[in-house]
Amino acid sequence: MPENRTPPAPHSDPQQLDPTALARSRREGMLLRTRKIRRSVAGLALGLFTAAFLAVYVQLASGHDPALTANAERRNVSTSLVASTSSKAAAEKKLAAEKAAVEKTTAEEAAGTEATSTETGEASTESSGTSAVTTSQS
Amino acid sequence: MITSNLSVLATATGPHLFWITSRAAGIAALILSSVSVCIGLLMGGRLVKRRGVDMRVTHEALSLATLVALVVHGLTLIGDSFLHPSLADISVPFLSGYKTAWTSMGIIAFWGLALLGLSYYARAKIGVQRWRKLHRLTALAWVLGLAHSLGEGTDAGQTWFLATTAIVVAPPLTLLLARLLRGPATRPGAPTSATPPRSGFSQLPTR
Repeated sequence: MPENRTPPAPHSDPQQLDPTALARSRREGMLLRTRKIRRSVAGLALGLFTAAFLAVYVQLASGHDPALTANAERRNVSTSLVASTSSKAAAEKKLAAEKAAVEKTTAEEAAGTEATSTETGEASTESSGTSAVTTSQS
Repeated sequence: MITSNLSVLATATGPHLFWITSRAAGIAALILSSVSVCIGLLMGGRLVKRRGVDMRVTHEALSLATLVALVVHGLTLIGDSFLHPSLADISVPFLSGYKTAWTSMGIIAFWGLALLGLSYYARAKIGVQRWRKLHRLTALAWVLGLAHSLGEGTDAGQTWFLATTAIVVAPPLTLLLARLLRGPATRPGAPTSATPPRSGFSQLPTR
């Protein structure tokens, strides 16, 4: 069975080292830590970018993108506006036609009544003349 | 089945790939810059006593990552088929016709962050005290960038975006307000000459 010996850790006792070696080891440690931090930050940045990319991508692919939805809504509103304007115009046209028809009928009726009234008018003037006489008499 | 679904998704979002990339980079830049500003304010206000060098390295790495994200945010917009801006549109303020005020705010914020951030490497020439004063303006550039993202950002009305922004923006904003109310922290024995301080990140070897 091999002996389970742990090798002596390098620079375990700083008091035994000379100042140059101590400074070098500290410097190396700092450098390693710096490298580690830089790598971590790069990973974090990449992770953030990927997460944001996926979030926006899924949002867009599922049809919930704010910009595209707003555009679609604007398009729908303009389409419905056009539709409502055209239907309104058609209704107005119809109303105007109906009105014109009614007016025409009224005018025709009026013309008809005028014709009959002119015929009866003469008789009525005669009778009114009589009545006038009657009134004056009274 | 999955492949066909993926291909449908790819076809649907294909024309917007540059736009999605730009938006994602913008969001990443906002988060990274907020964390970086937070660490900078913590260091500047000396609210953290230990691990000063680590904080400085983290602050520097986050700032550089922010700048990279901002460059990606701007450059990918050039490829967008809808906006199709020129290089001048995305780099010169008040030139773009699309939401000019908000876009210009973002461009000014980018140049501010880039110049004030990268001036760190020239602080020996600038003078440490002068550089420190200048570097405080980075917070202003960050606020401009925040306003740009909330004013012009496509996702600005989305709950997830607002929640994320609130989480990352609240701490630096609080620190900034506290700093403004309290006034600038005076560093005892701060070097007044143009030489950088002996201790600190400037001692670290650069790659």
